[in-house]
Amino acid sequence: MNDLHLDGNGVAWLLDQITGAEATTTLRTCQACGDRRALGEHRAYRGAGVVLRCPSCQKVAVCIGIQGDHLTVRWHGTLRVPLPPQDAAPA
Amino acid sequence: MWRTATVREVIAESRSARTLALDVPGWPGHRAGQHLDLRLTAEDGYQAQRSYSVASAPELERLEITVEVVEDGEVSPYLAAEVRPGDQFEVRGPIGGHFTWSADEGGPVLLVAGGSGLVPLMAMLRHRAARASDAAMNVLISARSPEEALYRAELAELEGAAGLEVIWTWTRSAPQDWTGARGRVDGPLLEAAGFGDPSAVRCFACGPTPFVEHVLDLLVAGGYATAQIHAERFGPTGT
Repeated sequence: MNDLHLDGNGVAWLLDQITGAEATTTLRTCQACGDRRALGEHRAYRGAGVVLRCPSCQKVAVCIGIQGDHLTVRWHGTLRVPLPPQDAAPA
Repeated sequence: MWRTATVREVIAESRSARTLALDVPGWPGHRAGQHLDLRLTAEDGYQAQRSYSVASAPELERLEITVEVVEDGEVSPYLAAEVRPGDQFEVRGPIGGHFTWSADEGGPVLLVAGGSGLVPLMAMLRHRAARASDAAMNVLISARSPEEALYRAELAELEGAAGLEVIWTWTRSAPQDWTGARGRVDGPLLEAAGFGDPSAVRCFACGPTPFVEHVLDLLVAGGYATAQIHAERFGPTGT
C-alpha cells in the first residue's frame, strides 16, 4: 500500500457512469474474502486508469480503463444494485 | 453534465486556503458531504479536472468550495490564489452518496477531520445549524497551526449550540495559552471526543490518506464497526 490511494468516493463520477446510478452506496461482495462493503469504501488507485481494491482483503475489485469517449471495465465479485421503487419486481 | 460556475466572492480562510462562493445556474442541490468535479480550460484548450468537497450547507443558495494550495499543484494555486470574482469555470455534480449526513438521520455523530478534510464535515455542521438540529455531534479536528486552521471563528460560534462539541488538536503549534489537546489524534483523544458507548455512533473521517488510515485503525480498535464508519481520503493525485 502506498499513500497515493484515494477511495471509491474520489472516483464516484466514473462509477456512476457504469452503474447508471449513485454508486458509492452500492454494496459489493468480494469474490475473494466475501465481505460486503460499499463501493465508496473501496480503495482507489489511479494510474493509466483506475483500480478499486477490496477494503478488507485488498484484492482487485474493479479495473476501469479510460479511453477518450468510452470506458472499459472489468468487475470482480457481486454487486447489489437497488432498483428504483417503481421498477422493483414483487418479491 | 458540466455547468458554468461564476465566482461571486472569494474569502480568505487561512494562510493557504480560500473559499470560493459560486453561482451555478441549474445546480440541482447537494447533500452535506458530497463533492463536485471542477474543470478548468486554458485558452489553448488544455483542460485540468479536480474534485472538491462542497463546503456550504445545502440550504445556502450559493455553492461554496474551500481550496487549499497543494504544493506543486496545477489547479489549486490558481483557485487558491489567483481566481477573482467574475471568473468562470465548469463544475459537475453533486457526486457521491456514501459520505453524506442529513439532519433527518439524527445523531450521535462523530466527525474527525485532518487538515482540509474538515471541508465536507463543515457542510454537515452548517447543515445541522441551518436545520436547527439538536443531533448530538462531536467534531475532532487535527490542524497544524492556528494559521492553517479552517473555519475556526465560525466553529467557535456554532459550538454554542446544544449538542455540539468541537475539539481541536494542534500538530505543530498551538494557539497562545492553549490548554487543550496537542499532537496527532490518538486513542485517548478519540475516546474523549466520542460518546462513551460507540455502538450507535456514526463516524465520518476525512483527510489525507495516511491520516484517515490512522483514524480508521483507532476507531476499529475503539470498538466501532466498519459499517458505522464513513471515510473519505484524499491524496496528492489528481484526475
